[in-house]
Amino acid sequence: MSKELILKKFTDAVVNGDEDLAVEAANEAIASNLDATEAIVDGLSKGMGIVGEYFESQEYFLPEVIVASEAFKAGVKILQPHIKVQQGTKPSKIVIGTVQGDTHDIGKNIVGIMLGAAGFEVIDVGRDVSPKAFVDKVKETNADLLGLSALMTTSMVNMKKVLALLNEEGVRGQVKVMIGGAAISQRYADEIGADGYSVDAVAAVRLAQKLVAVAA
Amino acid sequence: MPTPKERFQAVVENRPVDYPPVICPGGMMSATVIDVMNETGITLPAAHHDGELMARLAEAVQQRTGFDNFGIPFCMTVEAEAAGSEVDFGTLECEPKIVKERFPDNQSVIYEDINLLLTRGRVPAVIEAARKLSQWHPDIPVSLTLTGPISFAASLVDPLVFLKDLKKNPAASHKVVAYVNDFLIAFAKLAIGNGVDIVTFADPTATGEILGPKTFDEYVVRYLGEAVTAIHEAGAPTIVHICGDIKPVKHLLPKIGADVISTDAMLSLAELKKELPGIKTMGNLSTYLLDQEGAIDRITARTRTLVHQGINVIAPACGLSTTSPIENIKAFTDAVHQSVAETESIG
Ligand code: B12
Repeated sequence: MSKELILKKFTDAVVNGDEDLAVEAANEAIASNLDATEAIVDGLSKGMGIVGEYFESQEYFLPEVIVASEAFKAGVKILQPHIKVQQGTKPSKIVIGTVQGDTHDIGKNIVGIMLGAAGFEVIDVGRDVSPKAFVDKVKETNADLLGLSALMTTSMVNMKKVLALLNEEGVRGQVKVMIGGAAISQRYADEIGADGYSVDAVAAVRLAQKLVAVAA
Repeated sequence: MPTPKERFQAVVENRPVDYPPVICPGGMMSATVIDVMNETGITLPAAHHDGELMARLAEAVQQRTGFDNFGIPFCMTVEAEAAGSEVDFGTLECEPKIVKERFPDNQSVIYEDINLLLTRGRVPAVIEAARKLSQWHPDIPVSLTLTGPISFAASLVDPLVFLKDLKKNPAASHKVVAYVNDFLIAFAKLAIGNGVDIVTFADPTATGEILGPKTFDEYVVRYLGEAVTAIHEAGAPTIVHICGDIKPVKHLLPKIGADVISTDAMLSLAELKKELPGIKTMGNLSTYLLDQEGAIDRITARTRTLVHQGINVIAPACGLSTTSPIENIKAFTDAVHQSVAETESIG
């Protein structure tokens, strides 16, 4: 099977949320010695990009995005061991979670999925997470980015506490902080001194890419 | 003058009223603000567990805010707790929340006897509170607000897995949603038998922007529709509240069959009434506005507009923040109650 056809199969598998097709394409890719990185970038991730566009234009909704991400993950799982490790290029790491007092995690999970699809190493610390747990995880993993989600006006104040603790522990300089969630605005991000805000998961990927590019 | 109960019933039956009821239905839309608890010493989380306290707090809320109803319970975790999920009961300021959904996916759901669930957790306390309130104040309607079937199911099964399976594995999803819906119907019927006058469903996970129109039709319209029919048969009117941006699903709302449809603040109810003639609307004074210090003038003005637009039931858009000042809420209900005096003096 030609490379183009396999790549298209990957893309279709993700866009249609077809896990079996993603697995099939991955096995074919390996059998025909297709470069695994290329398969992920030009096949699977391209599909996630299209899913993101559909999500923004309200052709797709959350269930479709989650199903697509499952197909994406199924493909990556098979391809992963075949990725040729390039010297010096490590994926950027992001610790992501919902702040203390808040158990809304649907949006945060979607952001995590899209970041993973875009090649970030995502460390999800869950929901209702204390400032200390965020900071400890950042230190432990040496993360490049920290993503904080808050959906409630009562919980968003805890973002400020995370930033304060990062400062206190002297690690604020080594991690870029991005925030989001329904309660959050660019103005709030500026007010508490976060490095960026984005309105949805697609914009969050662009923001994360921008922030690591600036940091590099 | 009609009693608040008669007034609400008149709205349901399309009869003219002196002024629209101004209510806060309970559950996700609870008016148990900190001010009331501090003034009365009846506090949360204790009142989540005890029927007598729950009734007394609902009564205190009604008396101090001026709402035309009692709203119970005060959170949206009663159902999921009864079905086995782990709940953190919160604090005075902070509503209870689900710590962990009981099941990782639909396949592992254990289907228990609905009658057993009705004896679990805080269900008996809610029923007792309904009975007491209806005995103490036969003229004021008691509203029971339940968590709609999608939000309930997503509090019992890991939400992301649950949302995925709505598309991926519809058979398993329908089974779970039908199960939680059966429990909701049984809970509502038991409550109606114990004095509840209005049953409200709030289903915040079932928004247009989360589900999209196809999934909304397949699950929300179907199961909420079934629940609404069952409750009508049991003799009570229903309110259905949908959060968030309802644009993608607006055309489907009448199919649910609820007596009154309530929406978030981002939507003009006057326009919704124009687009969907025949439906009765509830809402939608901004939750954020009600929480702001010094907002009384804007609250009064905005509330008058809602009344003049002919909104059938006036209510906070998406419930109340627990920090909302009592003066704001009082200004809100006063603006509705005084609208009758004004119309009379003009006419
Ligand atoms: C679904 C929902 C729930 C579900 C949550 C299920 C779950 N596991 O997540 C349930 C039913 C459990 C729930 C419970 C409660 N909820 Co609720 N809920 C919502 C609702 C309707 C939608 C949230 C959602 O998932 N949206 C869809 C996702 C995809 O959007 P999103 O989260 O905004 O995420 C996107 C962007 O914001 C961004 N983003 C998100 N995170 C991040 C992070 C980063 C780093 C970046 C860059 C971007 C980013 O990208 C995402 C994808 O595009 C909102 C209303 C609303 N319209 O937002 C209320 C809302 C958030 N809830 C609210 C409240 C009050 C509650 C409750 C207290 C009960 C109640 N009275 O409703 C409890 C609280 C529980 C707690 N303590 O945490 C209020 C908060 C009000 C306030 N004070 O600010 C809201 C605003 C509703 C309202 N108007 O009253 N809720």
